[in-house]
Amino acid sequence: MRADVRHAVRLARLDLKLLGRNQTALVNVVLLPLLMAWMFSRIMPEGATTAGVPAELFVLTGVPGLMLCFAVFVNLVNNFTARREELVLKRLYGGLTSPAAVFGGAALSALLVYLGQVALLAIWIVRVEGGSAPANIPLLLLASVLGAAVITLLAAAFSGITRTAELAQVTVLPVLLVMLVGAPLFVPVAQLPEPLRVPAEVVPITPVVEITRTAFLGADHVGGLGEPLSVAGQWAAALPSLVILLGWLVVAALLARWLFRWDARRG
Amino acid sequence: MRTHQETPAIEVSGLRQRYGDFEAVRGVSFSVATGELFALLGTNGAGKTTTIEVLEGYRPATEGRVRVLGLDPHRDRRALRPRMGIMLQHGGFLEDLTVAETAAAWAGFAADVNRPAIGDVLELVGLAHKAGTRVRQLSGGQKRRLDLALAVVARPDVLFLDEPTTGMDPEARRDTWEVIGRLRAEGTTVLLTTHYLEEAERLADHLAIMHEGRIHVRGTVDEVVAEAGDRITFRLPGDAPDDPPALAGVPPTVTRAGGRREVSYTLTGGPAAARAHAALRPLLDWAAARGLTLERLEVRRGTLEDVFLRVVGAAPPEATARRPAGVAR
Repeated sequence: MRADVRHAVRLARLDLKLLGRNQTALVNVVLLPLLMAWMFSRIMPEGATTAGVPAELFVLTGVPGLMLCFAVFVNLVNNFTARREELVLKRLYGGLTSPAAVFGGAALSALLVYLGQVALLAIWIVRVEGGSAPANIPLLLLASVLGAAVITLLAAAFSGITRTAELAQVTVLPVLLVMLVGAPLFVPVAQLPEPLRVPAEVVPITPVVEITRTAFLGADHVGGLGEPLSVAGQWAAALPSLVILLGWLVVAALLARWLFRWDARRG
Repeated sequence: MRTHQETPAIEVSGLRQRYGDFEAVRGVSFSVATGELFALLGTNGAGKTTTIEVLEGYRPATEGRVRVLGLDPHRDRRALRPRMGIMLQHGGFLEDLTVAETAAAWAGFAADVNRPAIGDVLELVGLAHKAGTRVRQLSGGQKRRLDLALAVVARPDVLFLDEPTTGMDPEARRDTWEVIGRLRAEGTTVLLTTHYLEEAERLADHLAIMHEGRIHVRGTVDEVVAEAGDRITFRLPGDAPDDPPALAGVPPTVTRAGGRREVSYTLTGGPAAARAHAALRPLLDWAAARGLTLERLEVRRGTLEDVFLRVVGAAPPEATARRPAGVAR
């Protein structure tokens, strides 16, 4: 177990080093989500409010969900697929690192990149938008950890049905669309058009977005419409979403177990 | 495990491996004693890699029993993983890392499970001068050296080498043999696959020749070579009265070319050490009685190549049966 943790940390450090050397990935993972966040916050009408907060603020506090899809998910599907093709996964599987350590390392590096972006976003919200600092950082961290874990396992599963790294752009597309349409990025789930509400409740990004927004703003954005909450109230409000995320964790783990492949050779 | 000399480090019995309706390995059995080097020889597609990958734990055996250090390589991966070293046939690198970073990472993995890594592993495989180079920029042979470094860095008890010197120049090949020799001196058990006969001949304690999923010949190098038999060849002038006699029950093979007769015998019966000598006496007597000279008389031991070619189904033509110049031993 301790060896697994050490291996995961070592692999995560390698991942970050490699990310720094890969300009394409760097743009996709780091720059693009921030650019999209900026764009989305600009298209909201001036002075409008959503669920009791300025519309830009509402969007920006939901953007982490978007980053999880675009930065973490796409990057990981790419990584897993390319490394299977290049037989890196095969070497790791045959080597000293356990499967748990390999997934742990991928999840850890993804989480670190994601947390870096959330931190940038928080600074942006305080400095540019005049919002306040996140109200409940432990809750924010918990949602980030669970979200990154779910997305890592989903990415592992999707890499299993992606034959080559070039195909990754295609296989991730439906997932991105569903998450993008389903996640309550611009309006609360309660205000989504009727047909979208069911998918919105189902996609794993929704609980991440709702908990993150609640933790940022200290108000009920988990199904609610921004009623102010105490810290205990924030945890209580987030509980159902945390349970959904845990459920997704199990589903994603099973999917990964079923679909993930270590070896590029015949199955 | 090294104290249990009587337990083989690797045991394979009745291994079969199927992919869909293709059977890549069709009932293979062998065992490798602790500290021994066993070579699996064969053409491409003989089933060597499939066999070695089952032993490495990449997939469970379709049928049969496989043990490495007494453990099931697929089921007991967690226990076995730190004690095995694997050299893949190719690839498997994070190409944007440098050689030194790659070696350091793998040495780190070893340290994390309390296996003292070889400190100067790049020195050992002759890559120290490339330490700062990105893996992407290495030549094929250099990548094989790096692969070897990663396989041995944790000082494994059992080392699997899948065609370790394919794509290497002669110097790199010799270096690799030296590294393998050093690890063996420390007691490492080695299973290697190769299609270079001289590699098997030079390194192996025991070897097996695999063809179409089966092991056809197995034994020490001497045992296997003894099966090839000894060859006696000479030329007779065209006007010699009759064909030479059978020797030790083996009739001569006579081919006529340009007014001469090329004669050859392949002797396989009797004790290997004495049979050529025993066969020559009646032959020389036969020639003396007729006043003939056996031109270009040659006696040579059979070679691994003779056995190999017989197994894979190609009759050894005269030109290739002779060991090419410059090949060791």
